[in-house]
Amino acid sequence: MRTLDCREVLDNLSDYIDGDGSDELRKAIERHISRCGRCRVIFDTTGKMLKIVTDVEPFEVPLGVSARLYARLEKVLSEK
Amino acid sequence: MAEETRNAEQHQPEDDLVLVDRVVSGDRRAFEALVRVHERRIFRVTLAILGNAEDAEEAMQDAFVKAFRHIDQFRRESRFTTWLTRIAVNEALQKRQARKNTVSLDEVAEAEVQVLPHRSQRWHEDPEKLYGKQEVRTMVEDAIQSLPPIYRETFVLRDVEGLRAEEAAEILGLTLPAIKSRLLRARLLMREALAARLEETPPFSKRVLITASRMRDMVAIKLMKAVGQ
Repeated sequence: MRTLDCREVLDNLSDYIDGDGSDELRKAIERHISRCGRCRVIFDTTGKMLKIVTDVEPFEVPLGVSARLYARLEKVLSEK
Repeated sequence: MAEETRNAEQHQPEDDLVLVDRVVSGDRRAFEALVRVHERRIFRVTLAILGNAEDAEEAMQDAFVKAFRHIDQFRRESRFTTWLTRIAVNEALQKRQARKNTVSLDEVAEAEVQVLPHRSQRWHEDPEKLYGKQEVRTMVEDAIQSLPPIYRETFVLRDVEGLRAEEAAEILGLTLPAIKSRLLRARLLMREALAARLEETPPFSKRVLITASRMRDMVAIKLMKAVGQ
């Protein structure tokens, strides 16, 4: 049975979140996380961070920015 | 026109192709519908690369103008979104290079950024409920803006725009292992940056209590003065 240390687990965090990696690697990560509170929090909060970022939809286009974009496009679209 | 009244969430990649066909066949106004669907994405991408709204606006405008003028070169080998995003990334990178007031990609050796998580506190189950959605959004925006540029652009393409790692790699001209390596660091840095903001900002409910307590003190002082104490 493969065992991983914290560094190896952290190196594979991103792939794990994306559902990548072999079954064996994923199981080894899960075994480590079940025993290591610190890695568990890091995995949990990274997943939460990604969910929050998706939920809040950051960075709207300011109204003035949008208006100036359409004004410039109007000129370009009207070119012969 | 049906396509033009749909909002960005309902818009599908196939709708892009219909609009592109219309533009190519001479219906220039169909391009406005493409802009409406993609302007937010393109603004976020140029903002991620350039770091300020003014430069991001200019790069976004140039990207859409270039996309319109070269739309007949879109070969449909990738999604329209990927093609358009690549144009915007190139515009933004050229501006950054010309500006030379931020560190260039070459100057930031990835190894220099130490990403060792040091915040290991659990987070509140639902920070949006605790702080309010707008406040959390501001924290997220600040946290993204605080990332070093190479991590910020990777994070935005992959985790804000939802592009596949392969697409983000293609757009940024990186290998898949390179983009994955950057993405891991970007996510760890972003976790730290957001954790710092969530830990340091008292939630709205607590601020209300603090304000109420101050007001109560002020009222008490005024009453005491009024009765000559």
